[in-house]
Amino acid sequence: MIDALHPVGVAPFSVEAFSCQKAGNARTEYEDAWAIRGSDSPTRCRVAIADGATESSFSALWAALLVENFVRGRVHGPEFFQRLGAIRRLWRKKVRRRPLPWYAAEKARKGAYAAFVGASLNAVNRAWRAVAIGDCCMFQVTGLPPNLELAHCFPLSHSEEFGSSPFLVGSMQKSDDDPLPHVRVSEGVLQGNDALYFASDALAAWLLRRAEKGEPVWEAIGPQGIRTEKDFEALVAQAREEGTRNDDMTLVRLTRRATWERGAG
Amino acid sequence: MYSAEISRKNPGCFIFLLDQSASMEDPFGGSADRRKADELATIINKLLHNLSIRCAKGDSIYDYFHVGVIGYGQDTVVKSAFDGAMTGKDLVPISELANNPLRIGDRVKKADDGNGGLVEQSVKFPLWFEAKHAGGTPMSSAFKMAAEIVQRWVAEHAKGFPPIVINITDGESTDGDPVPEAKALCSLGSDDGATLVFNIHLSSAAGNPIELPASDEGLPDKFAKQLFEMSSNLTPFMIGRAQELGMPAGDGARGFVFNAQPVQVIQFLDIGTRPANLR
Repeated sequence: MIDALHPVGVAPFSVEAFSCQKAGNARTEYEDAWAIRGSDSPTRCRVAIADGATESSFSALWAALLVENFVRGRVHGPEFFQRLGAIRRLWRKKVRRRPLPWYAAEKARKGAYAAFVGASLNAVNRAWRAVAIGDCCMFQVTGLPPNLELAHCFPLSHSEEFGSSPFLVGSMQKSDDDPLPHVRVSEGVLQGNDALYFASDALAAWLLRRAEKGEPVWEAIGPQGIRTEKDFEALVAQAREEGTRNDDMTLVRLTRRATWERGAG
Repeated sequence: MYSAEISRKNPGCFIFLLDQSASMEDPFGGSADRRKADELATIINKLLHNLSIRCAKGDSIYDYFHVGVIGYGQDTVVKSAFDGAMTGKDLVPISELANNPLRIGDRVKKADDGNGGLVEQSVKFPLWFEAKHAGGTPMSSAFKMAAEIVQRWVAEHAKGFPPIVINITDGESTDGDPVPEAKALCSLGSDDGATLVFNIHLSSAAGNPIELPASDEGLPDKFAKQLFEMSSNLTPFMIGRAQELGMPAGDGARGFVFNAQPVQVIQFLDIGTRPANLR
């Protein structure tokens, strides 16, 4: 669990991240990535999560480069995906650093792929803007327990929309592989107690499936439901028991600090 | 059914049956200079090439699959078709296969330069099998041998994804009707489903390729119809994946192709998120 925005109590947001690799895999094989950064202003925050595709090589590296590039930058629209030249070069440089067996070289030549969602938040006017490709999701949850409701879901909104072959953003720029038509953008405003959750695809699909059944899923992932990594692991175990695909799972939770609210007001 | 996870802990199993009989020396698809044996060698090498790349991860390769290759025809015997370091083995993990081709050739091809352009690059083309053609066509015995391997496999992987057996032939069996043997093979399976049998028919007759048909109407000869009858129905996931890959698979599609190079069949199994734009 981390609180990466500001170590001091004046930070507007509290941000925590939880992650778990595929069952049976080593932690080093975890291929999701997340990053959080308070931008230039102490009242701004940027969060991103990416899910490196199992079927591509060096996708953990690509996912990490994407989220870091997003949170360190200022771009928060579709143009983010037009300005990936530097991290694509970095990915290639790191991958080509060592000799590879023929199959690994051929696979690397195809590039790495990842799903991505990143959001930029303004604590002053409570506005957020998010950009996404693929099936990592962001949820805006509103209300107070036990009456939490999903106010906004982006970029997918129903569990049946998740598949095993989404369009993802690649580490190799290809002439026939323009990500722009697949970029989704959304905007919104946080109400008083709203929280934002960012989830990689398998977890997001499971959360929506449970919500569609009317189960109290938003309470389960709220500050009272998940306090520690162990709590998160228990949630992941439950999801897998209910038939969720064995995948890396990542959850980033962003809530507004009540103390900051009072101080700011 | 057909939903078991394929992973290193729960690997899948491919068994290829290669017709290496004398009739495979005949021309392929009406061609003057290409033999059916050449086409078969191209197909099996491409399938193994693609399967190896699919399992590559970072600088390594994950054993998502174990692979067997049975040859039938040479001296009218049925045996493991592996040569070199894998001689005599009936099943090997994909890592062993990928690391032991007979030879690796270099070819120059245009590839993405990563900046949106194309550049000529030297790429590796491993070769595991050469064209072979001699003797009769003991296809029924090949299915029997496959059944023995499958029986052992499912005993050890009872909860795993069931094996897939892919037979590549011109269809003229010389040791009896292969249909009962193929059906017997399909009666074996894991808790997750019956063994799937696919057939790739290489014919001397010219004609348009046929991929994954749902009926035997329009198939050109009795051998094609017999191989269609021996072929399993694709699972719903496989039909969906085939459609994503641009193959003409509809309801009731079977794992049968005529005079085509179905190198995409190894994409019919799910080993995790596959980007729609990964080619």
